[in-house]
Amino acid sequence: MMKISIPQSKVKNLMYRGAFGLRLQGAASDEKQLFKESEKILPLQSIEKPAVDLEDWRAMKSDSSKKQMMKDLLGKSRQNLMKLNAAWMDKMIQEPSLRERMTFFWHGHFACRTLVPYFAQQQNNTLRTFGLDSFRELLMAISKDPAMLQFLNNQQNRKDHPNENFAREVMELFTLGRGNYSEQDVKEAARAFTGWGFNFQGDYQFRPRQHDMGAKSFCGATKNYTGEQVIEAILDDPKTARFITGKLYRYFVSDASAIDPVIDDWAKGFYHSGYNIEKLLQVIFQSEAFNNPSNIGTRIKSPIELLIGLQLHTGGKFDNPQSLVFLQRALGQILFYPPNVSGWPMGKAWIDSTSLAFRIGLPQLLFGGAETDFEASDDGDANGLGKIPEGKRRLHCNVDWSAIAARFTKSDADSTQAMAEDFLLARPASSDNRNYIARLAAGSPNETEFIKKIFIGYMALPDYQMC
Amino acid sequence: MLATSGSLLVPQFLKAFENRSLPDTSDKILIILQLSGGNDGLNTVVPYRNDLYYQARPTLGITKEKIISVSDELGFNPALAPFRELYDQGHLTVINNVGYPNPDRSHFRSMDIWQTASQSNEYLSTGWIGRYLDSSCEQCGAHTAVEIDDSLSLVMRGESIKGMAIKDPAKLYQATQTPFFKKVSEGHSDEPTLNYLYKTMAETVSNAKYIYDKSHVLHSTIEYPNSEFAKRLKTIAELIQSGIQTKVYYASLSGFDTHVRQAGQQERLLTMYSEAVSTLVKDLKASGNFDRSMIMTFSEFGRRVEENASGGTDHGTANNLFLVGGKLKKPGFYNETPNLTTLDQGDLIYDIDFRQVYATLLKNWLGADDRIILSQGFQSLGLV
Repeated sequence: MMKISIPQSKVKNLMYRGAFGLRLQGAASDEKQLFKESEKILPLQSIEKPAVDLEDWRAMKSDSSKKQMMKDLLGKSRQNLMKLNAAWMDKMIQEPSLRERMTFFWHGHFACRTLVPYFAQQQNNTLRTFGLDSFRELLMAISKDPAMLQFLNNQQNRKDHPNENFAREVMELFTLGRGNYSEQDVKEAARAFTGWGFNFQGDYQFRPRQHDMGAKSFCGATKNYTGEQVIEAILDDPKTARFITGKLYRYFVSDASAIDPVIDDWAKGFYHSGYNIEKLLQVIFQSEAFNNPSNIGTRIKSPIELLIGLQLHTGGKFDNPQSLVFLQRALGQILFYPPNVSGWPMGKAWIDSTSLAFRIGLPQLLFGGAETDFEASDDGDANGLGKIPEGKRRLHCNVDWSAIAARFTKSDADSTQAMAEDFLLARPASSDNRNYIARLAAGSPNETEFIKKIFIGYMALPDYQMC
Repeated sequence: MLATSGSLLVPQFLKAFENRSLPDTSDKILIILQLSGGNDGLNTVVPYRNDLYYQARPTLGITKEKIISVSDELGFNPALAPFRELYDQGHLTVINNVGYPNPDRSHFRSMDIWQTASQSNEYLSTGWIGRYLDSSCEQCGAHTAVEIDDSLSLVMRGESIKGMAIKDPAKLYQATQTPFFKKVSEGHSDEPTLNYLYKTMAETVSNAKYIYDKSHVLHSTIEYPNSEFAKRLKTIAELIQSGIQTKVYYASLSGFDTHVRQAGQQERLLTMYSEAVSTLVKDLKASGNFDRSMIMTFSEFGRRVEENASGGTDHGTANNLFLVGGKLKKPGFYNETPNLTTLDQGDLIYDIDFRQVYATLLKNWLGADDRIILSQGFQSLGLV
């Protein structure tokens, strides 16, 4: 592995962006560990491979004798998607590595929904396996991924009735970006992807009889393109490297400021490395732009980042694991349920009056015994997540505050608070807020109560929403 | 120093309202009601003279005797009984066959398209009401568009201004008036994004207080039906009567995804919907606000013409859309009944783009620049 060196003062930023922030459990990592701890690949194994061939769900829908079977399957599927959701949340908390961070990044990039939990898990494992390696392999694997083929209707893409959805989104959202291909390219690429399908065991299947063997004119060349050759041609276009690098810049460096022209060099390097993602990330993490103080602590945490961060900072465990699913809904980001194929928006899109008030109140809700009667809106889909039952709920998260006190307590209260602030916030708090939190915690009967008040105070600041 | 900079962040608009005691009843209000899940339009406004309808719906078709007939061709689902009066008084416009090119039959995608007013192959991260806020109200606050809910839908999110989600003004007020919330909201930061959070907090404190102060003294005297949806419409009526400067209200009713046993479920929901809306109209009339109010109801898609084997219907495309208001230019049926002969994969073919309805409301009702908000011009329908 390439040796990289980053000043210690920037490690916190690296941990926030490259992982999910500083952790109470385990020593704070450094840049070498960040890559090192991502070497092993442990797949999610929460969902069993379907034992029976599920056939085509579409056929099942129209066959009334299978109505009950269909209904049972959908109910089971919803349950299993929630089980998978909880399993991945837990994994990100247990292994908050760069690999999981990248799996989460690609989960938003290759945004996809499926009703088949096994497909969702399989796709997630594909993102994990290739997420730090070659984008070339990642793209090819995702293009043959059953969940994606299903989501983008490629199962219906046949020689005589081409369906352009898959071909269009691959170019618009996954690789080249809008404006870098023509409508003709979409049509011709769709023809090349005809016959790409899957079975309900979760295997990619090529159906030669549905494939259009004719000549296709794609990106200026005319030949008998296969789907694989279209993917290769897309990767041979440097605009793909530029598009992915730009997205990584906005994700890791800044989503607010103008894109630094340096990314043209990064994109060239990415392209010539054969799309090596790990190498590109090393370049990004060492760059002036990444470590520039004006970019540190300027990114609004997405709901998932906020929820994981709260648990890493406290080592907290929820009384009820379903609480995490409820919180994802309340905050507006549910794993495996991206809003559409373009993924989740970033930055200020997460913040409005109501969502910010909920975020500010969250530490009291999790650690302070407060209750909420929040109801997530129903998306209307009878097969969707449904309405959250009315009434008050507690979302208690258990934290061993005495252990935190033991680690953070210094000889004087100011030093204890300073250590907690440095641990919890990406940038120093204002002296006004610092003094206010000190006043709130003053007079605590013991060190445990004191550190609890300090932690909750900092976690309820708008500053805690930033990373 | 911080305390003064905090008060600087109190939005300008509040100052303008301090002297205002009576609502300015010339200000137009748009109320949007969303029926989530895909309401079956064909069983809502029924083409009861069309044999093709009964052929496609052997069990779900609503018999002629039950229909509330309002024209030679069309009649209402019996659950829409209260709409008869609205129709007769010229307070209802029904627009048939509303949709968009290359329709998407997925709930969340189609709802996205309706909420963002995008093309069907385009992904926007702002909603059409959010962009209305961006373009028309630099100086006004988040409460210019209020969603009666716990969380804010995409439709209400603009690039720089977002609406507010409020289910209960008193609860939001309590949550934002805690000593901690108030104290922290006075802060600021040199980092622009973090400062945006402080600014949002400060605005939330003042908006929540403003809305609560205006509304908690005033209670509607009209009795509303006992449903959560009716309660939300009552909140809208009370906010309107309180004279707050809200231009757009938004509320949703869910459960219309009737793949199985549709008849009972749709009837229950339409009853809930029509009773709540007619009560809202009564209330708005009583307070003298009906003439400045326009209520638009839509659903993300209609349903397949042919019923399925489970006593339900599957996802379809074009649908009817309702406008209820005191100042309609074209009350009754705006256009022709759905064509059941020529279908696209078993679904109705749209003839009015939903963005034409939006453009009409933006331009002729709210006086906004529809071309900027919708990024292209759409022919106005002359509805309002």
